[in-house]
Amino acid sequence: MAPSKKKHAKNQACVIPGGFTVLSLQFSSDSAARHSLYVKEHRVRAERSSHRPLDRTLFVLNIPPYCSEDVVKDLFSQFGSVQSVELRDHPGSSQESGPKLSKFFKPAEKQGFKVGYVVFQISSSLPAVKSHPHDVPLVVCTEHRPVKTGLQKWIQQYTNSFIQPEQLQQKVDSFMEDYDKRKEEEAERQKKEAEEEQEDEEGWVKVTRGHKGTKARPHSEAANQRTLQREITKKKRKELLNFYTWQHRNTQKEHIAELRKKFEEDKQRIALLRAQRKFRPY
Amino acid sequence: MSGSGAPIRRLFVQPILVKTIGPAQREKRMIPSDSSRQEEDEENEAPVKAKRSKADHAGEEVVYHPVKLSRNDLYRPPTAEELNQLKEAESLFHCSLLKMQMEELLKEVALSERRKRQIDSFIQTVTKLIQTVPDSPEVEVSDLSWLSGAVKVPFLLVPKTTKGKFHMAPPSSIDLIGSYPLGTCTKPNVMVDLAVTIPNDVLHPKDVLNQRYPRKRALYLAGLAQHLASSSDIGTMQYSCLHGNRLRPVLLLTPPGKDSSSFTLRVHACPAPGFFKPSRFHPQRNNIRTEWYTGLQTSQSGKISSEPPTPHYNSSVLGDLLPRAHLQFLSAVSSQCSAFTDGVALLKVWLRQRELDQGTGCFNGFLASMLLAYLLITHRISNSMTAYQLLRNALNFLASTDLTVNGISLAKDPDSTAFHDAFQVVFVDPSGHLNMCADITACTYKQLQHEASLSMQFWDNPTVDGFQCLLMTPKPMIRTSDHVFQLCELVKLQSSCKKLNLLSELMDHSGDYIHTALPFILSLLQQGLSQRIHLLTHSLSPDPKSEAPKHKAQPPLSFGLLLRAELSSTVLDRGPPADSPKAAEFRQLWGPRSELRRFQDGDITEAVLWHGESICQKRLVPKQIITHLLQLHADIPESCVRYVGAMVDDVIKTGSEVSGTGEEESLVVVQSYDDLSRKLWRLEGLPLTITAVQGAHPALRYTQVKPLALTRKLYSFFDREKTSRSLVPKEGKPCPVYITPITVICHMEGSGKWPHDRLAIQHIRAAFHIQLGELLRKHHNYTCRPCPTHLDVWKDGLVFRIQVAYHREPQVLRESLTAEGLLVVRDNDEAQALEMATIHKPLLTSTLHGLQQQHPCFGAACRLVKRWLSAQLFSDDITEDTADLLVASLFLQPAPFTAPSSPQVAFLRFLHLLSSFDWRNNPLIVNLNNQLTAVDYTEIKNGFMATRESLPVMFIATPKDKKLSMWTKRSPSIQMLQRVIMVAAESLKVLEHQLIDGSQKQDVRVILRPPLEAYDVVIHLNPKQVPLLDQAVDPPAITFSRGVMSGSAAQPGGPLPVIDYNPVSLYLGELREAFGDLALFFCDPCGGTVITVLWKPKAFIPTPFKTSQVSARSVEVTGDETKTVPNVEAILEDFRIMGKGLVKSVEARTEKWSF
Repeated sequence: MAPSKKKHAKNQACVIPGGFTVLSLQFSSDSAARHSLYVKEHRVRAERSSHRPLDRTLFVLNIPPYCSEDVVKDLFSQFGSVQSVELRDHPGSSQESGPKLSKFFKPAEKQGFKVGYVVFQISSSLPAVKSHPHDVPLVVCTEHRPVKTGLQKWIQQYTNSFIQPEQLQQKVDSFMEDYDKRKEEEAERQKKEAEEEQEDEEGWVKVTRGHKGTKARPHSEAANQRTLQREITKKKRKELLNFYTWQHRNTQKEHIAELRKKFEEDKQRIALLRAQRKFRPY
Repeated sequence: MSGSGAPIRRLFVQPILVKTIGPAQREKRMIPSDSSRQEEDEENEAPVKAKRSKADHAGEEVVYHPVKLSRNDLYRPPTAEELNQLKEAESLFHCSLLKMQMEELLKEVALSERRKRQIDSFIQTVTKLIQTVPDSPEVEVSDLSWLSGAVKVPFLLVPKTTKGKFHMAPPSSIDLIGSYPLGTCTKPNVMVDLAVTIPNDVLHPKDVLNQRYPRKRALYLAGLAQHLASSSDIGTMQYSCLHGNRLRPVLLLTPPGKDSSSFTLRVHACPAPGFFKPSRFHPQRNNIRTEWYTGLQTSQSGKISSEPPTPHYNSSVLGDLLPRAHLQFLSAVSSQCSAFTDGVALLKVWLRQRELDQGTGCFNGFLASMLLAYLLITHRISNSMTAYQLLRNALNFLASTDLTVNGISLAKDPDSTAFHDAFQVVFVDPSGHLNMCADITACTYKQLQHEASLSMQFWDNPTVDGFQCLLMTPKPMIRTSDHVFQLCELVKLQSSCKKLNLLSELMDHSGDYIHTALPFILSLLQQGLSQRIHLLTHSLSPDPKSEAPKHKAQPPLSFGLLLRAELSSTVLDRGPPADSPKAAEFRQLWGPRSELRRFQDGDITEAVLWHGESICQKRLVPKQIITHLLQLHADIPESCVRYVGAMVDDVIKTGSEVSGTGEEESLVVVQSYDDLSRKLWRLEGLPLTITAVQGAHPALRYTQVKPLALTRKLYSFFDREKTSRSLVPKEGKPCPVYITPITVICHMEGSGKWPHDRLAIQHIRAAFHIQLGELLRKHHNYTCRPCPTHLDVWKDGLVFRIQVAYHREPQVLRESLTAEGLLVVRDNDEAQALEMATIHKPLLTSTLHGLQQQHPCFGAACRLVKRWLSAQLFSDDITEDTADLLVASLFLQPAPFTAPSSPQVAFLRFLHLLSSFDWRNNPLIVNLNNQLTAVDYTEIKNGFMATRESLPVMFIATPKDKKLSMWTKRSPSIQMLQRVIMVAAESLKVLEHQLIDGSQKQDVRVILRPPLEAYDVVIHLNPKQVPLLDQAVDPPAITFSRGVMSGSAAQPGGPLPVIDYNPVSLYLGELREAFGDLALFFCDPCGGTVITVLWKPKAFIPTPFKTSQVSARSVEVTGDETKTVPNVEAILEDFRIMGKGLVKSVEARTEKWSF
């Protein structure tokens, strides 16, 4: 930190090559050391996501583990009201797939340094952040926003880990209902497709390219391989390997070569053992 | 190996043939065809051709060497005939590899030409010097005034006076004797024997009487010493005595300068051959008169027949007369058999590794040569055999012949009865007068036999590396015997001689009370311990090396016990019925401890009951027996007996009223689990049936470091969580006691109703947890807490964590659909972790549980090992399962030892295994349940060699896991393994030293205190918040109430206690997640109050600014370049913030940092 601090005058933002602005962050007002957050407007060409509108999203690097989404939201509210905050382990596009999981079934989050996407409500907040002076740190834990760490946090975690069986049962039931419904729809669709392939009254069969999952060819990799293997063995059986004299000679030669190779290897191994004094008894 | 290309080539050709056959190929061989016949011929020719072609096709080799053999060729179907050949080749390979290794070994121990030249020249110098010994005037033997004060006489002059005259004179001849001229001299401790013949006019034929000759010999040596002391050609000069026999002093000379430690010249003074009449030394003759020895006038003086025989004295004098004859005899034998010297050298190495070749009553190299000579002469081995076969036959002979009963003789007309009366072990020399095994005790011989038969077993076992076990692994007593005890203050043995009434024997041994009393003490102990032990051994006291001999300050004598696991710890010794004639004998042996007892079957017998409540105390019953017997019969007080059977066990002692090492607690846990599993089986009303209930926790295989004690809760100590009736830790109070959940895997029946989708399976599992909990609560009133991943059950003061498993789930996790709708199966970490948790861990647990049933000390050994690992901060690198497997290997494949029967010896062997195993070149094969055959072993080894680079550094193969070593896949890393090896070696050294050397300050915990200097940052924790503080290596000064009341187990029901809440491990987890790429964190999970941090050197190299690598880093801008380095100040601050309440201080050792 020290060198960059000296270079920049007081009350000025610190911008490093690469377009990132450095904001300093300390845990509480009396902490001695500071972390630096690296912020930049979110700009990804490929992404067209409604979650992260390009003109209003701030990309934040190096968020310490004790800052939860709420804390980050609070921290950046001083620059303008924040619409949403998304914290992730690595930078990358957001992905939402599969059915929505209840909090009980979500895999445990990693508690490391995070990358954040802060979406402001108005786009003018971004320049405000970027011009924030470097030597005025953001403070995580203040009197009206206490952040629990250490023992307090673990005790809270433990307390929160209790789940009411009824609630859990309810979640399970609703998920399974949902799942069954999806399965049913799937089956329905397949059935319909199968029906479509039946002859109609006039004896015509409608042939389509088919949807995912129709039985055009083997469905699994394993089956694919089996077929391939069968082909190969068939071919092998037909092939004559020991027919011409040159073939015969070649196999012999290769055999000798192999023996020689092994012999050299083994000799090396023994030499190695001897070099390591593996034969010295005491 | 140079110059022997052809035969060795043959040797290497064979194993390749062995490799080419796999079980899968055997079926294929059924197809008979012409081509296969042709191929077979080819195969037979191949090695020959290979041999020939080397010279011819030297150029071709360049073309060929990178060629990879096609699979087709490698896996040719073999015919029946070929199969036979392969089998033969395999056995031939087994021996020839061993043979070749032995040849290499012989090269290591043989004397180099340079060394021989050095020896020869030194011998010449010394010979010249000795020949110029000046004459001295004749004086009385007891008059020592002719010697200068600096030179002592190497003899204890007790009784002081004896008749005779003595004067110095140049020797009549000087000859080399012993191993050096014979060519059987080996490194290390090269000892060259030089016999200096005392001129006849110094001696008198009647000098054999009353130690006159031994004294003159000692004086002669002193005279030589005085003469040599002035010479500058001699490096150091010391007295010693031959094989600890103080009647036979020798002078040890070493060359001057830097060669001084390379060899030793041993100068013997001998009479001229045939100077004394050999018949005077018959074992039943007396040559020391009681009257002279005791100084008392006996009433029947002059009546020689009543004098007790002095066999040991006789043989020690006789031993001086015969060395030249022996040398001649051995040279004659050796010249007939070309491999004789090599055979002797191998046998000497074998003996030395077993600590049998040195000290008083040893089976030395001379005896080894004589034994081989005996075997050759009796045609048990032929002259054309190789060294390898000589060794094998010698061991076989030793294993099968008991010289304590049937002595052997090299003389023409053997008559060994007289010898058997006088000596314990009989092996008569070619002259027929001398018993060469005079000093060997029956116990030593039994040990020799035991070792020989063990070695034969290993030799014949194809799964054991015979060479390593037989010749390369040292077997010190402390690591071989289950229990070891030492007799200190050997002066006390003087009174035992008196108590045992051994005056005449004492006279025979010329006052050497230790070796007088030893055979009697041994037989006493053997009698007392009878069924409890396999073998009783004792250390051979080393040859004293000093200026002058002393009676006092003898090193302690060690005894080793090889326990019979099943009987060694019984507390009752049942004797004969009270009225039987044997009862008196029994009472005599046990003295007042023997009492009449009535047993449940109605018998009234003599019996001795020993004290012992816990298993740990029972293990020490042999100690009680030994101290009792020694006190009773030999007047040796308990304070002299230093018992090192269970010193290390201290480390895992539990602090309850009856001191134990946790076996009892483990048993309670296992019983409670058995009960739970029965109840689970009987549950009705589940939609699917339970197919298996398996434990998957160390506590269920008796190997948890500190098994849980059942406790009751102090409710005021906790907060309550209202809705689920559970206790919650309270802020401001010390951390509550840590309760480990014991994992139990509950397999559910497979059914079409299970969904084929990972998320759905998860939900179904959660539903099962809820339902199981509900049923358990309803039927058995257990408090349960269902979660999506598990169900916690509070039962008998323990918490069981039940996890429902579905056997197809790993498969489901591996399957995925590609974009084209193709179903692919890909292995992934998630599936592996699940398989590990639901299949492999339960299996390992049940297997090791079985092992504990066979070897009662397995659990304790594991606990000891794991305590050491955790104390040395290695528990994250060598996981509990790995450690248990390593210990299991010691029990399953104990070669060259026998399976350990005490935790301490298992622990020592573990340290030795860890530090000496060649992890780079060998797989450690743990043959659980004995499922692996010799074929599997070769398969594993070949697979290992082929893919070494991609395998874990510590490779452990088990029957279920032959190729991957799944237990050590993640850790340890190569660096950590290096460190573990280093620390293990050091710990072993320190610990063995502590155990053997009683004079040191005793603190075995030294090996459990890791050095903290090596670390960059040390985070000190607040002891109040460390829940397992009471398990710490050094028990804490202050203890904190942790919300438990002592007393009986809790009632079923009641609120759920605080489960699995350990701030230290939570903190450690957070640190590793946040800073894992910058530093390594170490902590002792058993009550350690420090977390040590080691920066990763790579992380501190400034790196260019990248969005994916800026965690906890600060930037430095120099011109256009932006580099990042870790923001150390902020990181240290974070250590404090993240562990608020737990961290006491963060000590940064900045002076060590080099960035």
